[in-house]
This record gives sequence, C-alpha cells and structure tokens, in this order.
Amino acid sequence: MINIHGLGVRFSIFLIAVSVIVVLLTAEFFYRATYQHEITEANNDIEELYQTVSATASISAFLEDQDLAKEAVNGLVKSEKILAASIKGQQIYYQVNVEEAIKKGTEPRVFVVYHPFIPDDKLAQVSIYPNANHIIEQATEISNDNNYSLYVLAAVVGLVALVINYMIIIAPMIRVGRSLHEIAPGTPQRLNMPDYHAKSEIGTLVEDTNQLLEKVEQQFNQERHLRSEIEFLEQRFRMLFENAKSAIVLMTDNGFIQLRNNAFNELVERMGFEEKQDYGELLEQIFDDPRAVKASVYEAFARNEFATGEFKLSCKNTNQLVWVQLIANPIIADDGVKYYQLTLNDISKRKKELQKLALQADFDSLTGIYNRNGGEKLIAKLISKGHHFALALLDLNGFKAVNDIYGHDAGDEVLEFVAGQLKRNVRKNDVAIRWGGDEFVLLLQAEDEESVKNVLQKVDSSIKQPFYFGDKEAPTTISMSVGVSFYPHTSADIEQLIKQADIAMYKAKQNKVSAPEKYLIFASNSED
Amino acid sequence: MKMNYSLITSAKQANKLCMRLIFILPVFLLLISSSYSYAQENSIVVVISSKNQINELEKRELIDLYMGKYNSFANGASANPIDVVNDEELKAKFYKALVGLPLARVNAYWSRLKFSGRAKPPSMENSIKDIQKRLSSDASALAYVYASEVTDEMKVVYRFD
Repeated sequence: MINIHGLGVRFSIFLIAVSVIVVLLTAEFFYRATYQHEITEANNDIEELYQTVSATASISAFLEDQDLAKEAVNGLVKSEKILAASIKGQQIYYQVNVEEAIKKGTEPRVFVVYHPFIPDDKLAQVSIYPNANHIIEQATEISNDNNYSLYVLAAVVGLVALVINYMIIIAPMIRVGRSLHEIAPGTPQRLNMPDYHAKSEIGTLVEDTNQLLEKVEQQFNQERHLRSEIEFLEQRFRMLFENAKSAIVLMTDNGFIQLRNNAFNELVERMGFEEKQDYGELLEQIFDDPRAVKASVYEAFARNEFATGEFKLSCKNTNQLVWVQLIANPIIADDGVKYYQLTLNDISKRKKELQKLALQADFDSLTGIYNRNGGEKLIAKLISKGHHFALALLDLNGFKAVNDIYGHDAGDEVLEFVAGQLKRNVRKNDVAIRWGGDEFVLLLQAEDEESVKNVLQKVDSSIKQPFYFGDKEAPTTISMSVGVSFYPHTSADIEQLIKQADIAMYKAKQNKVSAPEKYLIFASNSED
Repeated sequence: MKMNYSLITSAKQANKLCMRLIFILPVFLLLISSSYSYAQENSIVVVISSKNQINELEKRELIDLYMGKYNSFANGASANPIDVVNDEELKAKFYKALVGLPLARVNAYWSRLKFSGRAKPPSMENSIKDIQKRLSSDASALAYVYASEVTDEMKVVYRFD
C-alpha cells in the first residue's frame, strides 16, 4: 500500500539521506577537530604538569638535592599522560621509565631548569616523554563519545522532523489528494478541510480547489443546460431541413456537397442520376443548360445578392421534363470557409400549366395550328427578326354551304381537313394559321411570285379533293381564294400588309365561279 | 568542549610582565643613581669574622651559602650564615638585593625544604649587637649589616651597590 513515488516516502528518503550525509560529514569533522584538540590539550597538560614541578626541579637542581629531584620526577610520572621523565643536571640525575620510552621511540619534551634565584642561569633539563598511547586513546575515546552523541542527536532530531513533517504536512496532503482523486468533477462533492489547517497553505489549497470545483460544477450545469437547448433546437432544425419539400443542399464552392435533405435525394433519384457527393460546380451536372445557370448565379453573386432563376433539369436519363426554381445563397461560415446553399423547388407543374395557357392563347383549339393571336405574334417576331416572307390569305369557298347543309360538326371537319392539308403541303419553314372562321393565313418563306404559286398550287389541288359526309353519296368539294402580299415588298407595315392581302383575296373571290383557275391574286404595291 | 587557556593566559601574563619590566627598569636605575650618596653610607655589606681567611666572596657564593646549597666556604672552611631577627627591614633589603625575592617567598622556600632537604636555613641572631658578638667569636659566621655598622672585628667580603 506504500507508494514509492509518494510524498511521504520521497520526503523520508530525502531527509534520511541528507541527515546521514550531514551527520557523517559533521561527525568526521568533529572527530578530527576533537582529536586534534585533545592531542594539543594533552601537550598543554604536559606543559602545565611541568609547571607544577618546575619550582621543585629548580630548587633540587640548585641544591643538587637528589631527593628533591626524585620528588619532582615522580610527581610527573604519576600522571597517566606521561610515560617517562628524567632530570639531568651537573650534579643530579634521576629518571623513571626512560628506557622504555626510548624503546618505543617516543620523542621527549625538554624543559630547561633555571636557577631559582639567578634568572637565565641554566642548571638542568627535564625531559618528559608523553604517553602517546594513552593520549591517543583518550582523544579517540572522547571523539568517539562526541560522535555517538552526535549520531543519537541527529537520529532523534531526524525522527522528530520526520514524524512532525508527516503529521503536519504529508498526511493532510495525502488525505486531501486522495479525496480529490475520488471526486468526480461537476458533482456537489467537495474536499474536507484537514484539522488545524484552516489557515495554512494546505487550507488555502483546499479552499481554492473547492472554489475551482464549484466553478466546474456551475459550468457543467450550464453546459448541460445549453447542450439540451442545442439538442432541442438541432432536432427542430433537422426536422425542418429533412422534411422540407424543397431540395436543399449545402456545398463547398468547388461543388462538394456537405449536407443534403431527403427532397434533394428524391429529386436526384427521380431524374435518374446516381447518388453521389459531387455534381460539379453549382450542381451543373443536373441542369440542362449549366452555362446559363452559372452565368445567372455568378452574376447575382457578383452583385452580392442571392441568385434566383428558373432552370430546366437535364433529362438525358429520363423522359420527364422538370423545371426548378433555383435559389443560390453564398454563406461565409464563422471559420471563413465559403459555402453555397442551393434550394431547388420543383416548378414543373406550374410551368406546364403556364405553357398550356400559352398554347391556348396562340393555337386554334380545333385545328391545332396557330390562331390569329399566335399568327400575329409570329408575324411580329418574323418582322422583328428581319425575315422576308410572303403572306397568303386564304378564304374557303363553299364552306358556308357545308355548314348550313351538314351542320357545324361537318364544318369543323372541313376546317380540320383544310388545316391538315395546309400543314402537309407547306414547306418545313412555312407556317399555317387559322385566321378566323374559314379564313387561313400561310406565312411562306418566299420573295417571288413563282415559288408562292408553286406552294399554293399543291395546296389548291389537295383541298379540292372530294369530301364525303355521312351516308351522302354525292361528294362535296370546296375551293379557296387567295390574296398574297410580300413583306417588305408590298408593305413594311403589318396592318397594311394584311389589308393588301385581303384586297387581293377579294379580287380573287370575284373569279370563283367565272374563272376558278384564277384563284390566286398578288397584291399590288400599296403605293400603287 | 572544554578549552584550556590557562597556559596561553599565563604566557600572556609573562609577556606583559616582561614588557612592564622593560618600562620599569630605567625608572629603577634612575632611583638607584639618585640615592647613591645615601646608599654609600647606608648600603648593606656582607661581613665575616676578621679571623677568617677569606677576603672576598662573589654574589653567587653568597647565594649558595645563604640559600643552603653549601655550608662551607670555597677553601673548605665551614660557613654559618646568620639572619638578623629584629631588623626586618635590613633582612628584607638584604634578601631583595641577594635573590630578588621578598621575605615571604624566602620563608616559603625554607618551609618547603624543611621536610625534605639536607639544606638548613641560616642561624638566627636577634640584633646587630648579637651579630657583632657572634662574629668576634665564630670564625665560620657570615652576616649582613649596614655599612655604617661595620666594626673592626668584621671583614667586608661583599658590598651591595
């Protein structure tokens, strides 16, 4: 359960290591110091010892008194610090143990014995042989004692430091650390203040940590709340996006689709395109005329507007004709990346209806060829484009009789027949128009009378075919009278052009009985 | 740890003493020279019996005799130094001049030797009169007197300057 890398172990190891090193170094230093001191002390002691007997020695040397000399020397060797001593004067000599000392190679300390009454008069000398063994023994013993007490002291201090430190710092830290470890952020759990640490650094640490936990919890709660809000919104947005009837895509400016909704997928599927992430720049591959799309969209973008337009989708994979309203919106995201939002609304149905309306306006519902309205538009268009053409105004002869005799249905039948013959016999670029009633107009690509005659010859012979109605055995035949004017030769004015053709046609009408072969008359120049 | 400074201090004191002596010495000499005439009259002399053959003694010989090293003169004749008891001043002056020690120290010296030494302190005479009497009869006697008290029976063998 002990963590080798834990604070307690680390601190203990460090403290023990440092104390051991310090104690060893200190002990070594003190040992040497003490030892040296004791040796010096011993030498000083010897000098002092000599001082105590110096008077006796001096007197004995003066009096040449052997007994006194003996007393002095004996006094010296009584000390354990002195191994041997001798006194040597002119008349006296006494020694104790000197031979042994010399054998041991001990160096003596020599003191001069002066005359007790005449200063500077040397009478003798005292040699003292220190008991080196004893002195060293003594020094070692004292030094060792010192060291042992140092060790004990260091051990006690170290142990106390260790215990106090553990109790005051490490144990509370470990407790705080453990409880912090067990706290899950964002919960109302908090650290307990260790006893007696309310005002210590550990107390501050605990307080700060608790404040931090408080903040974390607040933020967690806020975050949770926000997340749920965002989730709710996201759900709604997704619903909105996914269920939109319009096809919506979000794409990068190089055409890669980031986001698409179901409607888009359905549209693509319906048009027979394979499902993929990239349909080219601005979805160009799905449009019938990509160039028009791009031109229109980029033109709008250049004006900093969103682009809108109606375009036909490519129908190469399907027979369907689909028109869409395209809304393209450039979006710059927060990170500066450019996106395009493209919305495609299927407007095929509306388009079809509109076309139908246009058709109804321009075509004759009975015969399916242009009606007068369509014809006039066509003439205006031809004129505006600068085309030259011949305008032939046809009026049927005998139609009223058919109508009167056989009824309206028969009349309609005749009109349908004529329209069919006209369509069949004119050239590809010529146009047949029902001008109203039994009047028809042919717009012929011709500038000379000859080619007009050629065309109308065919038309004339085709409508003169006998016609059988119901069970009537006698066939009915109809004919036509035609007036022709040339644009712009006859007139450059459309009204005038028609009027001239009409006049010519009436002229031809005069011939319908007398000279049916002259059914065709060209209008004279309006200026004539 | 106990430190022993006694030796150092004693050495220092000795050194101080020396220094003091160096300063005191000239003053001392001055004093001596100024009182020279008085000293001439009142100086202490060492005398022996006129019967004694010795004519002169050295200071060292005097010390040896008075401090108990020898009890005979250089020529082998026995010598008996005599201290005066009544005149403390004379005695003090004498010892001061001879060994440079106050009387107390001289007494201490003899006390120490009383139990262990062969050496004997000088014999005693009460007064100058007794000394004069002793000298007239005892040829081995040796004493110190003021120069003014020297009689015919005495022979001056040493004169303190």
